[in-house]
Amino acid sequence: MKRYLFPGALVVLALVYPLLVAGSPVWERLGALVLLGAIGASAWNIVGGYAGQVSVGHSVFFGFGAYSAVVVYTHLGWPPIAGAPLGMVLSVLLAAIIGVPTLRLAGHYFSMATIAVAELVRVLSSTSEFLGGAQGLGGPAMPRTVFDLSFISATPFYYIFLAVLAFLLGLTWWIERGRMGFYLRAIKDSERAARSLGVSSGRYKLYAYMLSGAFTSLAGSLYLCMFGFVDPESGFGILISVKMVVMAALGGAGVLFGPLVGALILVPLEELSNSYLGGRGAGLTFVVYGAIIVIIARFLPSGLLSLFERRPARPPAAKNQPASGHAD
Amino acid sequence: MTKATRRGFSAGAALTVLGLGKAASAQPAPVKIGVIYPLSGNSASAGNYSKMAIEVGADVINNGNAELAKIIPLAKGGGLPGLGGAKIQLIFADNQGTPAAGQNQALRLISEEKVAALIGAYQSGITLTASAIAERHGLPFLTAESVAANLTERGFKWFFRTTPVAIDFARAYSTFLKEQKAAGQKVGAIALVHENTEYGNSVASVIADQFGKDGLPITQKIAYSANSSDVQPQVLQLKEKNPDVVIFISYTSDAILYAKTMKELNWKPSIMIADNAGFNDPAFLKAMGSTVEGLVNRSAYSGGKPGSVPAIFNELYKAKAGVELDDVSVRGLQGFLVLADAINRAGSTDPAKIQAALRATNLPAEQMAAGYDGVKFDDKGQNVLASSVVTQLQGGKYVTIFPKARATANVILPYKGW
Repeated sequence: MKRYLFPGALVVLALVYPLLVAGSPVWERLGALVLLGAIGASAWNIVGGYAGQVSVGHSVFFGFGAYSAVVVYTHLGWPPIAGAPLGMVLSVLLAAIIGVPTLRLAGHYFSMATIAVAELVRVLSSTSEFLGGAQGLGGPAMPRTVFDLSFISATPFYYIFLAVLAFLLGLTWWIERGRMGFYLRAIKDSERAARSLGVSSGRYKLYAYMLSGAFTSLAGSLYLCMFGFVDPESGFGILISVKMVVMAALGGAGVLFGPLVGALILVPLEELSNSYLGGRGAGLTFVVYGAIIVIIARFLPSGLLSLFERRPARPPAAKNQPASGHAD
Repeated sequence: MTKATRRGFSAGAALTVLGLGKAASAQPAPVKIGVIYPLSGNSASAGNYSKMAIEVGADVINNGNAELAKIIPLAKGGGLPGLGGAKIQLIFADNQGTPAAGQNQALRLISEEKVAALIGAYQSGITLTASAIAERHGLPFLTAESVAANLTERGFKWFFRTTPVAIDFARAYSTFLKEQKAAGQKVGAIALVHENTEYGNSVASVIADQFGKDGLPITQKIAYSANSSDVQPQVLQLKEKNPDVVIFISYTSDAILYAKTMKELNWKPSIMIADNAGFNDPAFLKAMGSTVEGLVNRSAYSGGKPGSVPAIFNELYKAKAGVELDDVSVRGLQGFLVLADAINRAGSTDPAKIQAALRATNLPAEQMAAGYDGVKFDDKGQNVLASSVVTQLQGGKYVTIFPKARATANVILPYKGW
């Protein structure tokens, strides 16, 4: 069964990775960072990849998740992770509020609307005293109980993130194979055609958007647990949205493992280029980082996973997506 | 912007100091100090200037400076005598302006580079995440410029801060005004004008508290949005009440607006104070310098008399960076010197010994590159001798007027303006 080879190898590698790099905190942490990036990008993939609605404002959900976690700590004294469900519920509501008017917009206009909403929330959050204003809020400085998730090593985070990612990918796989998956792909290929065949496109786009928002929010809460701090820029900043899009597009948007592959390339590239070039202070990091993205986008516009999708037996599902076109 | 081009110019020169750590074979292993700064992103300009200031400091310790050696024992050259002449090797890391990158880099410096201590990280939020990693690994972290009040309230044992914070600024203004009152100036009515985000609100409330304790009456408080395109209403409010002293807490574009509008409406107080930030920006001075003659400000940098520590460091820094030391770069330099002094006294790179040495730090005012009264840490790691000097714009340049010991010029009052 050749088609299970890649996912199978990935699962085994994922499970033993911390053992392979044990003793090197930097590599342990890198594993956790890759998974965290993959959670965010996979969450984005549901609406941006499968449904083809390219949101460039997903940081709004990420920020809701991060702030929910830190707010339950700051104002109630709870462990930050307890804020994760709150963030997810709020994000679903927010997705409904944003989605109903904006999902009617087509193509670039939807992307622009999502950017506008995220920027609006970022500016508002920087004037809110409740959210710590421009200075941001910090999580528990010293671990009080194990629920504060303040570990010296990144390995516990690694396995937490791995479990979340596995659940999210499982859910996405289930959707992909079910009715909703077909609807979403139909909407992406041609919304008008899908509607004429009786697909309630508005409703399914909204479902995808709400689900995507909920898991992006969870990524934000997990981020806060690991880093212990959020301010308007690191919560709602546009760079966070862009990274999700780039990761998914790089690996293959609308493909189950696409965002994970994107994260596997981008996150280490980002960390290692900063580690080895950042100290020289000439901004060289971003030159190298950007150049590699440009090269991949130029030669593999449908993402790296398109390399594996060239077999004629399978329909060319990942080809010529508008999603990867936007992210270039 | 001129700052950006200057940075490009000096990037090449900045690399040369890095080679200093590689010493002859008889030398003890160099002491590595991790330096985390924003070397790219929004604050890259400040980060790169601070980086150069710290490189100047390391160069003085490693290679000596005859003039400074008369005042600062470590400036004799030949590295750290407490560690058998080990040289200092700086390992720089870029925090990219994000709390996540700052924390990741802190971990790398600790675990891969095995640095003896960390210094950084400019932005308060990044200092918060980076120092949390240092705390968990039990390694000293010194911040030379992050001023957020909560940083020293976390109960950390490995965290130290040399920079003055809002309360120190407030004390400097308060003492300065009381002195002026004794000299016959009227300070019976004081107005506070501040922008309405975190920075303006927090500094204003600290100043109000301190002035309340010191019996200086704040009769008017005006909050405004730094983005506003018109400040006539605010200036008219001031004109109506006509206070003796006005303290502005503003960013750059609003500072320019206030200076313009006050001239247009022809109103000025007899003492006008600006809380650094916007009023210190070279862009402000360029645009409005001639209309705010006599403006009182604060700074951690005081030029000092020729032959003083700040004056000598300023010459060295100018040769490297092409600009004079300022409020930010001098605080970075001072933080590094404090850390180097502690490692030297610890006589070891053992983190616990460096921590103990930092706790026992007691540096006198005359050894300061920055305008502090010295360096001595309290239980929370805050430098209790941190202070600001008060400066005044005289002839288009800021000169130090207070405290007396560091003053390079006399106070000229009342405020002249245009």
